[in-house]
Amino acid sequence: MNALKLSLAQKTGLGLLLLLVAYATGAALLQAGDGNSQDLSHILLAPDGQFWLGTDHFGRNMWLRLADALQLSLAMAVLCVATSALIGVTLGVLAATRAPWLDRVLDSIVTLILALPGLVLVLIFAAIAPGSFLIIYVAIALIQWIEYFRVTRAIVQRMAASPAVQSSGLMGFGQWYLFRRHYWPAIAPQLFTLAAFGAANAVLMMASLGFVHVGIQPPLAELGQMIVELFPYYGEAPWLLAQPLVLLAVLVLACHLSGKGATR
Amino acid sequence: MNLINTIDLAVYAGEVQLLQPLSLKLTAGERLTILGQTGSGKSLLAQAIMGNLPDSLRSSGEIELFGKPSCLKSRRALWGRQLSMLPQEPWNALSPLMSAANQLAETYRLVAGQKRAQAADSAAEVLASHGLSASLDKRVDQLSGGMAQRVAIACAMAGGAPVLLADEPTKGLDVSRRDHVVLQLLNQSAKGALVTITHDVAVARQIGGRIMVMKEGELVEQGDAGVVLEAPQHPYTRSLIAADPVKWPGRSGPEIEQGRTLVQADGLAIGRGGKALVSDLNFSVHAGEVVGVVGDSGCGKSTLGDTLLGLAAPVAGVVEQLVEVPKHRWQKLYQDPTAAVSHAVPLRTLLMDLVKLHHVDSARIAPLMQRLGLGHELLDRTASQVSGGELQRFCLLRALLLDPVFLFADEPTSRLDPITTREVSQLLVEVAREQGCGVMLVSHDPALIEKRCDRVIRL
Repeated sequence: MNALKLSLAQKTGLGLLLLLVAYATGAALLQAGDGNSQDLSHILLAPDGQFWLGTDHFGRNMWLRLADALQLSLAMAVLCVATSALIGVTLGVLAATRAPWLDRVLDSIVTLILALPGLVLVLIFAAIAPGSFLIIYVAIALIQWIEYFRVTRAIVQRMAASPAVQSSGLMGFGQWYLFRRHYWPAIAPQLFTLAAFGAANAVLMMASLGFVHVGIQPPLAELGQMIVELFPYYGEAPWLLAQPLVLLAVLVLACHLSGKGATR
Repeated sequence: MNLINTIDLAVYAGEVQLLQPLSLKLTAGERLTILGQTGSGKSLLAQAIMGNLPDSLRSSGEIELFGKPSCLKSRRALWGRQLSMLPQEPWNALSPLMSAANQLAETYRLVAGQKRAQAADSAAEVLASHGLSASLDKRVDQLSGGMAQRVAIACAMAGGAPVLLADEPTKGLDVSRRDHVVLQLLNQSAKGALVTITHDVAVARQIGGRIMVMKEGELVEQGDAGVVLEAPQHPYTRSLIAADPVKWPGRSGPEIEQGRTLVQADGLAIGRGGKALVSDLNFSVHAGEVVGVVGDSGCGKSTLGDTLLGLAAPVAGVVEQLVEVPKHRWQKLYQDPTAAVSHAVPLRTLLMDLVKLHHVDSARIAPLMQRLGLGHELLDRTASQVSGGELQRFCLLRALLLDPVFLFADEPTSRLDPITTREVSQLLVEVAREQGCGVMLVSHDPALIEKRCDRVIRL
């Protein structure tokens, strides 16, 4: 397990992700200006030497604006994955190893959340405070921790009854040790796959919110919202609409590819 | 007609030859037993014939089945109906989600082609004949190791295949069950051919027929069972036969004097989920003695250990631990060592974790390892990369470093070959004497119990 073996799909996915991160962080270094300043004398320009990806209907620089939107999506993905994994794994381990009543309480909470379609729940949250990055993040994390919880709980439940854990307990090792040496090695490989899919879902959910105008509000750039904004100009400047679409697809593809588990 | 005919069958891992070229013929009604220590390549031979070698291995040579040359693909069509394999580790071979009766009925329905109702009847009947009529609706995790083994045997035989490859069919079974299984295998072989892989000389003797003795992927001796077992030519065959517990020297030395009482059970009833398996147990274990525990599979031997160690609550009665020592000096050895340690890190890390936690003097490790026959390079591997025998000795090493006052050894040798069994069980006795540790030794082998234990508790 020490030498991390990646499949070709995973290498491609991680390569794409790296490229996207490089673009999101480095785009502003290559072109002066910012993604929000409007210039109504240069609207709907095709890509040229000055505006590498053209300008939108307000004359904003697409190269910079897309990078801003990508930054936002990546940040959301990382935050959501980290938070939901932390909560899900912690609660999953607790549910599987502590008193049965805790397991029942957590399980009923999960069932309650699952009773609502995920996107609807996020929509409700987003509608409370439209445009708040924080609220969207909380809402998505709130849905996504369930997957981690379920997987962790199932794995740990099985392991907690195993001779290996019993033996370590008899030798006087504490809960933290059991987690480090027994539970975590079993959870970790699954977690990576879950995280990759979770990241893709977080990105898509935020874009969907933008699509129905309850997500991040203009003038802040966000992929879903950009797609809607550029939709009316589909006839005149199809390349403009294609840009956020392609970027979104590549981002989701990269996440899914990196999660394409190493078959052992 | 030859049912099985292999010509120079060899198995490789990359360029390393694991099994040397081997030719064997088996006609209808014949029985072949492959005898050898763990890691001698016995299972590889069976897997190569069956055609289910792991992907990392490849075989060379030719295999003819039922008089026709066969490739990997054509063999797959024979599985279950013509060619059946009884794999090792029954709980891995059974579905963890289905009840015993349903699994077997499914085999009767889908492989043997019976109607649903008829299949259910056959399943219930066969399981009852294996003494499992009370466990029809139990899942694998609710069955004891021996019971799961019997279900797996019933499944392997349900298709009525004339050629049966049985890989360690009696591992972990007590003597009466073992004889029952052997009898069933013999019945099966009357209709076809039987290949049995075992390290149990007694099983080889019972099955008879032809014997091939393997050592490190090499055939060292073959011939008629009676001849080979009575007058072995090769030194390896001789040591293998000598390692049969029946042949061990008896206990020597003066009767030990009883040490202080370690644990006492009064009117103890043990069981799981409030249902008593055994009740009214009264006994005590003293320092420095080895107490044998025997009983049929599934009778609560492991539960007894858990109850004495405080891992399970007694159903009735009391268990008193009479010595004031930290909890970690009450230790247990497990039946399946591979399930009892973490596979995630090298063994050295696991050992050092223990040394750090209990401030064990690390100077004690080297001599103890030498005594257990464990090489230091072994510690750089993970649990998956060492053999069961080595791992069991590693478990013993960890337990001994904690200076146990009481050690419950739950069939510690049932997965080991006779030579390792002799060493490990001998060590347990020595430890009990030297460290004044009370040892409870569970085994289904009466000869082993007789040769190693001072007293016996029968459940």
